[in-house]
Amino acid sequence: MNVSPIPLTVIGGFLGAGKSTLVNRLLAQAGDSRVTVLVNDFGAINIDAALIESRDGETISLANGCVCCSIGDDLVDALIRAMERQPAPDRIVIEASGVADPWRIAQVGLSDPALRLDSVVVLADAETVRAHAADRYLADTIRGQLRAGDYLILNKADLVTAESLAATRGWLAATCPDTPIFIASDADVPFVFLADAGLSAWPAGAMHACGCPAGRPCRHEQAHGELFESWSIELAGRFRADALRAWLRALPAGVLRTKGLVATDEWPWAVMHGVGRRGTLACAAPPISARSAIVAIGLRGQLPIAELDAFFRGARLAD
Amino acid sequence: MRDITVFRARKFITMDPVRPAATHVAVRDGRILAVGGDEIWQGLGAARADDRYADAVLMPGLVEAHSHLMEGALWKFVYAGYYDRRDPEGRLWTGLKSVDGIVERLAEMERTLADPDAPLLAWGFDPVYFGEQRMTVRELDAVSERRPIVLLHASFHLMNVNSAMLRKAGITRQTDIEGIARHADGEPNGELQGFAAMFPVNRAIGNVMRTVGVTEEGVWRFARVAQRTGVTTATDLVNNLAEPGVRLLEDVTSREDYPLRIVPIYRGPQALATIEQDLGLAALAAARSTDKLRFGAMKLTLDGSITGYTARLRWPGYHNGKPNGIWIMSPTEVHGVVARIHGAGVQLHIHTNGDEATGLALDAIEAALEKHPRPDHRHTLHHCQTADAAQFRRMARLGVCANLFVNHIYYWGDVHYAQTLGPSRANRMNACGTARLHGVPLAIHSDAPVTPIGPLFTAWCAAVRRTAGGRVLGEGERITVADALHAVTLGAAYTLAMDGEIGSIEVGKRADFCVLADDPLAVPVEDLKDVPVLGTMLGGRAFDAAQ
Repeated sequence: MNVSPIPLTVIGGFLGAGKSTLVNRLLAQAGDSRVTVLVNDFGAINIDAALIESRDGETISLANGCVCCSIGDDLVDALIRAMERQPAPDRIVIEASGVADPWRIAQVGLSDPALRLDSVVVLADAETVRAHAADRYLADTIRGQLRAGDYLILNKADLVTAESLAATRGWLAATCPDTPIFIASDADVPFVFLADAGLSAWPAGAMHACGCPAGRPCRHEQAHGELFESWSIELAGRFRADALRAWLRALPAGVLRTKGLVATDEWPWAVMHGVGRRGTLACAAPPISARSAIVAIGLRGQLPIAELDAFFRGARLAD
Repeated sequence: MRDITVFRARKFITMDPVRPAATHVAVRDGRILAVGGDEIWQGLGAARADDRYADAVLMPGLVEAHSHLMEGALWKFVYAGYYDRRDPEGRLWTGLKSVDGIVERLAEMERTLADPDAPLLAWGFDPVYFGEQRMTVRELDAVSERRPIVLLHASFHLMNVNSAMLRKAGITRQTDIEGIARHADGEPNGELQGFAAMFPVNRAIGNVMRTVGVTEEGVWRFARVAQRTGVTTATDLVNNLAEPGVRLLEDVTSREDYPLRIVPIYRGPQALATIEQDLGLAALAAARSTDKLRFGAMKLTLDGSITGYTARLRWPGYHNGKPNGIWIMSPTEVHGVVARIHGAGVQLHIHTNGDEATGLALDAIEAALEKHPRPDHRHTLHHCQTADAAQFRRMARLGVCANLFVNHIYYWGDVHYAQTLGPSRANRMNACGTARLHGVPLAIHSDAPVTPIGPLFTAWCAAVRRTAGGRVLGEGERITVADALHAVTLGAAYTLAMDGEIGSIEVGKRADFCVLADDPLAVPVEDLKDVPVLGTMLGGRAFDAAQ
């Protein structure tokens, strides 16, 4: 039996950048999806006691179906245990240690067929990131972490002046060209950066603009409602797999996420995932509809709609 | 009247500088009652003479102050290393000097497995010794096309697998990550490097090579490997203090026929956030210490390894220009964590391979000492392979001990000379001579299973400093045999804060001895590593090496 791979998100960033806060938000707001989060230590995670259903050594189970596991001293062991949980998690999130290179961890989502790398989200502390990046012990570690991100979250924006924030943002953009940067406070990060849950809801319109599933209120609508916009298309005909791959290797600026279920010349049907700067194409089961469907999300005003339209219309075989 | 036994030997090497040699030792209640010549009989009352060691030379039981329990358990898998190595049962596994030799041994072991689908797991492979010869799926497929095969490298950070294992793990030419080595045609060649590339294999085999340490069998086999080389006290230099493991150690070490004292060092915190919990756990364990099981100290790991290019080096960095290594623990946390542990009165064992990490550890200890002056803390830097003279002077000034990884000189000295450190720094690595010169309390170690446990071999490395390729690294850093033996007895005991009870033959100490066929101080230094170990005595109880 071929079980569909579990999406994997890796949260990176130096100590104090807000990883634990982000994990807390994720656990509380995962909604209907059973997220298993692997954290370095429970000590730093402050889960609302009312949410905790049971606690057993290395594992805290939440009433909403989410699970928080301590990595302890062996990530291999912790990840195997997470993957073997029953029922299987809908998503696994790994909180990388404060000095780890998140990309080194994230590649497990590319090497193990039972996982699928969704995204690497790297947080940067607006107050300290530039000082750390200049520190004699830390410079290479910090720059390595930032360059590993599919998305950068410039966090703790509320703690610095507007001038300082702008300068740090400019520095980040220069350090990591082409990586989408999102400015946040208290690690209040829209779900779209962490997961493609909304994008998997077909048809493509069945979600809020921030990526949260439609059908129930979304807390981002108020805060970030104006921030995002989406684009979608349904097309007949087959796509050239090579053209899709080439496009996925260098996603156009402004696209935060893209997903598609497409008919191709290589596999009858393939699923396409694009995140930040990178994407993958994999064999998929045929959809109910006979037409290919693609959706993309970007920051409002930055989504290159004309470019998307032109590319997908042109990437089909002539037949 | 309690039993007293007087042991007579050709010679007792006591490690007590004011009485360096003796012929008679009286033992009562597992402790040393008297040391000297036959005058010790005077006034002893009813004592039994035991002449079994009349022709042997006895030393204090050897102390391996940096090893891992995993050494015992690994022998469940096939040994495929380049050097001869003895298993817990005393069988000699000859080192494999060619890829063909490895294939031959694996094929031989493969035939002994009844279940045709059970994976064949081997360890100890090190491609650095094979020059142009390559280990790939082709070679391992020759062992079996059907049975999954895993050949773990000596570093534990790489592995080679066969096609059956690649299939089982789902790794194909489409698997697009850095850690998968490839043939020229793009097909994976079976070498997998790092966490992500090895993960699907580890998952498929149930991560057995990592979790194998904490079993009753593993703990017993660890003792047998150690005891065979004359060791009576050994560390488990990173233990997570999980309750089942602690209970297992309590149970096994309490058995009278268990021939080893074990010192598990707790895997310390990575950050200040959890430090109070960690200190609490270590304190709870410390209260469960016995004479054969000693909890209490904590380990911090600052950086990686030199051969893996993950050690943090200062200028001029790696000789071959590779980028600097990685921090395992954040440099920003080191000061706070060291200060808190130091302030709590707990001893620290700090892994620092690269000199940048060593410098950071010393900065943190110095700051902690200024804040909480604390005599006799015994904080110890482990490996500490690239420290320079100024750093050793600082260690001496701060009362910090060094436990140097001198086995590296033999096993990877040639690699350090040519690739990682270059000649100048390779010559001063594991600088025992400099440590002694500045009065730094010194231990030396094997880091088993990274290299085989065997303190006489380790002492030989410190005294001779010769690489496997025959090059002497830094003649000036050699130490005398007497100093080298001190470093694997009293010196090592000192770094474990156990020098009041083990490490020398003195009245009141535990009757722990290493029984040798020859006098290590009298044989040519070249033969030091080959002095036969006949057995050990632990708390007055004799264990033959052949057992």
